[in-house]
Amino acid sequence: MFSFAIRRIIGAIPTLFALITLSFFIMRVAPGGPFSGNRKLTEAVLANLNRAYHLDEPIWMQFGRYLWGLARFDFGPSMKYRDYSVTELIVQGFPVSVEVGFWAMLVATILGITLGIVGALRRNGVIDLSAGIIAMVGIAVPTFVIGPLLQILFGLELKWFPIAGWDGSINAKILPIFVLALPNIAYISRLTRGSMIEALRTNYVRTARAKGIGAMRVIWKHALTGAMLPVIAYLGPATAITVTGSVVVEQIFGIPGIGRYFVEGASNRDYPLVMGVTILYGGIVILANIVTDVVRGLLDPKVSYE
Amino acid sequence: MGNLLAHGLGKTLLSATFAIAIGLSLGACEEKKQEEAAQQPAQQESTTAQPAAEPQETQTASTAAPAAKVPEEVVLSRGFGASPDTLDPHVNFGAREGWIQDDMYEGLVSYDSKGNLVPGAAEKWESSDDGKLWTFHLRDGLKWSNGDPLVAQDFVNAVTRQMEPKTASPRGYYFYSTLQIEGAAEFSEKDGNDPKTVGISAPDDRTIVIKLINPNPNILYLMGSYYVPPLHKPSFDKFGGDFVKPGNIVNNGAYMMTELVPQSHVTLVKNPNYWDAANVKIDKVVYVVTEDDQTELKRYKADELDTTNEIPSDQIDALKAELGGQVRLTTYVESQYLSFNVTKPPFDNIKVRQALAIGIDRQVLQEKILKAGYQVNCGYSPPNDERYPQPQVPECNMTNEERAEKGKALLAEAGFGPDNPLKVSIESTTDNTAKKQAEGIALMWKQTLGVDAKVNAQEFQAWMDTFYAGGWDVLNDNLVGDMPGPESHLSYMKPSAEPGYNWKSDKYEELMNQASEKADIAERYKVMAEAEKALLDDYLVTPLNVTTSRHLVKPWLKGWDDNNLDVHPTKLLSVEK
Repeated sequence: MFSFAIRRIIGAIPTLFALITLSFFIMRVAPGGPFSGNRKLTEAVLANLNRAYHLDEPIWMQFGRYLWGLARFDFGPSMKYRDYSVTELIVQGFPVSVEVGFWAMLVATILGITLGIVGALRRNGVIDLSAGIIAMVGIAVPTFVIGPLLQILFGLELKWFPIAGWDGSINAKILPIFVLALPNIAYISRLTRGSMIEALRTNYVRTARAKGIGAMRVIWKHALTGAMLPVIAYLGPATAITVTGSVVVEQIFGIPGIGRYFVEGASNRDYPLVMGVTILYGGIVILANIVTDVVRGLLDPKVSYE
Repeated sequence: MGNLLAHGLGKTLLSATFAIAIGLSLGACEEKKQEEAAQQPAQQESTTAQPAAEPQETQTASTAAPAAKVPEEVVLSRGFGASPDTLDPHVNFGAREGWIQDDMYEGLVSYDSKGNLVPGAAEKWESSDDGKLWTFHLRDGLKWSNGDPLVAQDFVNAVTRQMEPKTASPRGYYFYSTLQIEGAAEFSEKDGNDPKTVGISAPDDRTIVIKLINPNPNILYLMGSYYVPPLHKPSFDKFGGDFVKPGNIVNNGAYMMTELVPQSHVTLVKNPNYWDAANVKIDKVVYVVTEDDQTELKRYKADELDTTNEIPSDQIDALKAELGGQVRLTTYVESQYLSFNVTKPPFDNIKVRQALAIGIDRQVLQEKILKAGYQVNCGYSPPNDERYPQPQVPECNMTNEERAEKGKALLAEAGFGPDNPLKVSIESTTDNTAKKQAEGIALMWKQTLGVDAKVNAQEFQAWMDTFYAGGWDVLNDNLVGDMPGPESHLSYMKPSAEPGYNWKSDKYEELMNQASEKADIAERYKVMAEAEKALLDDYLVTPLNVTTSRHLVKPWLKGWDDNNLDVHPTKLLSVEK
């Protein structure tokens, strides 16, 4: 299994390189440049800026320069946030995104799986139906609607939590974590419910029950193990997406994470920033997929590492 | 079978989940109580308390206020909008970043709360009779925030740093184009030129002399903290571009930076070395990043913010009813207008341009469509200097019948009519208000003139590219001025200054050159008005409106007066609850 993980990591290198190359050139196809704010710049100033950031060089040279920087773990300077390098921005923002994302995924996994199991066991009961409704809401209503609604309810009316901001207090984290977790709760509970219902109908569960094994044990050991496989396949990429931040949640709740840099970096044509977060995101997705595969192998005897 | 299994188990799982949920919320409540107790003095305390716990998220200066809480500390929270681009005082080109700069730096002159110029680091100044030689005298005993003496050369260094090509500052042109300092244009051409060749010098530690090629009666507007923030050379030499980070930064204004978290907040505290520190009433100001204006509004209502950066434009009327005088709308030094592509047929025909200009009902556009609190403008420059006799376009006050009649007649003369409608595309940015404006105009052109108009909305960067590529018909355009009055707008439109419009007008160029030689403001403005008339008569642009700055300001915040420049230095504010 260890050698499997190593092989997968080595195999990821060409994938990452392709990602870097593609994003580098696709970004340059987009019209416009990074140096325009609300005011127009004079030609001489633009020329100075382009020279300072080597944008006056041929694109192949820029690409070479970028790869050479990457080899030394230098993501280059941000062109929008001129006081910072991309590395500095990621180092400051990534831990925040990971913190929110981690708790959101933890909450989503615990609540989602619990609701899913309860739903599967008491199909069409009150819990199952209400979980179904919550899941539909979680999936169908976007975070930019839920977020402001919760802000009004819990921030303005009940005054339990601050509206937004990131001051390090637990209170400030609860709403964004919940909003980020909500769609995942919905997906995970539906997935768990579906695969649990299937698992309960399988022959091996019926056999186990017929042999006189207790209900609890059959559910926890036999049914749940099998039912978790699709959930784990979902959790891998979902975690990767969640820990790299959400632009909507970050903007609505004023969280200084890196999720916004995907969108803002692209619309500001901040080439190095977009590249930096894309590489980070790509790396995490690859890593999450490897972990998912390893865990699936542990749970599912049908999966082989060969 | 499922049911068999379900009964006992479902209950156990459920009660377990409830127990966890209840436990969690109880924990949260307790936590909240404790925090509230600890945070009695000011709710923003948590922003400074935090870095100690999680140092990797923040940069905290060694000069940060000690943890001990003084109960009477006055803290101001100002909504800031999107995270600042740069806080390098010589590179920053943003108006909002300028607020932080106004707090951290003091130029030779300063603003009062109404935006009038008052002495700053310079206590007095005089100019020669021809208006070309200016001498500024610094106050005695000025200090940097670290206690170093502040000398005249620090201001000279600030100007030369902004002009050096390697600084890549968008603002170098102020000193060779707007202001025309002797030798400035040559100096800024390449790196390594001798700063002594520039007509700004410090004959002694308290005197700054500026020599201009042409007189400029508005020079004082370019001597504030935004334009000439002094440069503390020792820290710049030591840290390079990082000299603006907390811990490294040395500044001369009323406040100094203790904390800067990108995408979260900037915290400034009172600078004890500021010459007028005794009159600075607010101890700490936190500029809070508020990217989403709806969230900003809610935070303001929940008293998390004392002022906002913006008011959502679709809620102005409702908020006026709800919050009354807390809604502050002031015209800004930005004008919005349409630019026509004078080299592209059929827009090279002045009749077509004139017809389109006539087809816009500016009143309806502002009051019924935009509702952003903007003011109709009938000239190109923002009308905010009473001394300036601004020319007005004749179509500004036409009735709708006149518009339809005259506009259609002009189009017919140019060969367009119901069988052969004129096709126009308005290039706009994706900004909500800009897009709404462009769509409103397109609709008016369709209804009033029968023109086949459409809007092409693109991201700002792409819009800019379209402009320089030159293939556009009509541009939804705007310009922010540097000072009240017409000068920064009219200088910008000089064909030699902005070739992007492909406009050729020897008359305009010559009038502007004539104006720039006049030291007397009345004479200067008279010639400029002629130039503006030439611009409007040519229908290169057609004016639409002057924008507004929109803020919510809590009633307990005193000293916040509305002004065209939208400057509100924290040192002039106080809290009276």
